[in-house]
Amino acid sequence: MFARGLLVVVLSCVATAVAAAPPTTPPDILVSRQLAEAEHLAVGSIVRLGPAADGGAAREFRIAGIYEPTPDPQRLGSPQREVRLHLPDLLDLTRSPDVLAGTEHLDGINVALNEPGDAQAFARQVQASMPGVIATRSDQVYPAGSFVVLRRFHLAIASVTISAATVFLLALTIMLVDERRDTVGVLRLIGLPVRRILTQILLEGLLVAAAGALFGLVLAIISQGLINRFFQWRYDTALVFVHVSPAIAATCVWIAVPLGAAATVGASWALLRRNGLQLVRR
Amino acid sequence: MTALPFAWRSLVRQPARATLGILGVAAVGALLFDMLLLSQGLLISMRDLLNRTGYDVRVTATTDLPRSGPRIANATAVTQAIAAVPTVRSALAIRFDEARFQRHGQAPLVATFEGTAGTAAHPWNVTRGRDVMTDGEIVIAAQLARELGVDAGAILPIRVSCRDDQREALPPFNAIVAGIADFPFELGDEETLGGSLATLDTACSGNVHDAADMILVVSSGDPDATAAAVRTARPELRVATNEQMVGRVQQGGFTYFQQISTVLTTVTLAFAVLLITVLLTVSVNQRLGEIAALRALGLSRARMVADVLSESTLIVGIGGLLSLPLGFALATWLDLILKRMPGIPTQLHFFVYRPSALGLHVALMVVTALVAALYPMRIVATLPIAETLRAEVID
Repeated sequence: MFARGLLVVVLSCVATAVAAAPPTTPPDILVSRQLAEAEHLAVGSIVRLGPAADGGAAREFRIAGIYEPTPDPQRLGSPQREVRLHLPDLLDLTRSPDVLAGTEHLDGINVALNEPGDAQAFARQVQASMPGVIATRSDQVYPAGSFVVLRRFHLAIASVTISAATVFLLALTIMLVDERRDTVGVLRLIGLPVRRILTQILLEGLLVAAAGALFGLVLAIISQGLINRFFQWRYDTALVFVHVSPAIAATCVWIAVPLGAAATVGASWALLRRNGLQLVRR
Repeated sequence: MTALPFAWRSLVRQPARATLGILGVAAVGALLFDMLLLSQGLLISMRDLLNRTGYDVRVTATTDLPRSGPRIANATAVTQAIAAVPTVRSALAIRFDEARFQRHGQAPLVATFEGTAGTAAHPWNVTRGRDVMTDGEIVIAAQLARELGVDAGAILPIRVSCRDDQREALPPFNAIVAGIADFPFELGDEETLGGSLATLDTACSGNVHDAADMILVVSSGDPDATAAAVRTARPELRVATNEQMVGRVQQGGFTYFQQISTVLTTVTLAFAVLLITVLLTVSVNQRLGEIAALRALGLSRARMVADVLSESTLIVGIGGLLSLPLGFALATWLDLILKRMPGIPTQLHFFVYRPSALGLHVALMVVTALVAALYPMRIVATLPIAETLRAEVID
């Protein structure tokens, strides 16, 4: 099994393909897809890796495989040029001469529990029994700060867009209702009560708003694919940038439909307060 | 009466719809203006911040951004070698480490210690007290001074966690607070103090020797020539001018804001064109009889088309004007939100005004007014006068 220690390599300086295979098989490593593409590396190639940019103390390794790195939002824009080594190989490669083997520092230890649900209790137990060690559940390791801020930013943009859309919607419904002034006047004159006409307008508003929301969702789902493909190409990552989840779709419908219906009824209300003769301009 | 006053009267006759249309354009215009400010804002702000500090060239061990990559070893000798390059006026090595301050009954306060060595000016501006003169002295940020309840002249025990060696058992080091300073690159979620690299090395109990995150260089002439000369002198290091540093930032994750700005600008414009077109079209459709009557009275086709265009211009023009103060207010709010992002210097801004952004905003609004008026103008231009009047009378 490969250790989780990663050695980010300045490859231009230290990785060079070696023509002839050495007599003893060098240790295996895995290379990220981005690194393999950038340096034209293939499975089976022998490369030299070193801890210093000048290539000092470099050793030979054999590429056993090429992997797609887990997308890391914190490293957006920096191609994930990585190499994965067995931990003993990494320690041998990077250990200072004055450090005894076995006394090196590690960044972390990943633990797989038989019962993942016990993670919180296990973390508490480790912290209590080993002071100075920080045990954290995997889903709490990376601070979500940047993404919380980006979420707030997008929500702010969305709120401005919704405000602008509401204003336009009101303007449109006022015009559309005004266009139907005569029809509404006739309905009033033949005896339909205001409540009945208002219900009809509300239902119409709901239908139109629902159709609009549905169209918007279809548009969002189509554009989701396009936006993801563009940004994944732009940043050479497998990260998903836009995801129309059921919860988001429900929120959109929940906002759009009542807003559309309310705008229709609100715009109609002023018209319905007038009597039938005024509406048909008699 | 010319087209513009006529269009104005048409708008005034329907105050509710005109007001709502203008408000809608103002909101959309504000968003559009903000996206234009965002598209280059971060880079302009970064360039300004880099230039303001007075250093022309930055030297690092790798192309990673400072504080995220490996350090430069033998920093003092390397700094001296760089300072000896003929086109270099002065050079300053800088290392960042984590300092902790114990507080009674509270969690330790964590701050960043900026240790410097060299001949160039310190990367901070003293606002109270004086600058560090000897080893063992430090300057601290005003916020940190407030939180610790100290001022210039105080003695402050600090523990430093040196990045290369995370042993926490280092004894506290008593530093003299020489002054209170402003740190241009202080991050929003960070407290900062500064002193000499020797002070920092002492605080690290000798565990870290002579390493620097970056060497800041002041050139005596052309920064590009200086960078090239430093690169020749120290080929193992990565040398970048301020402009190249901005380029690195541009290539990094911050291009996200440029991309999102482009996407939102496009969507906003499409939204504005669509909605103004619908508003004008419905408005024109409601006035077909009136337009046909005016044509029958002798007003030319071009005159009526100009009327529709003027109406569009008035809605977009007034809305566009309102969008500017609204856009500035919105930009301030959005900037405050984004600046809470971890790792962003407090003096960096995402939304930065520049005249070209205003010019582009005006141009886009003009194009919006024109494009949005195209379809309703076509309706007016192809309106059959007799048929429309007949239909109006029968109706």
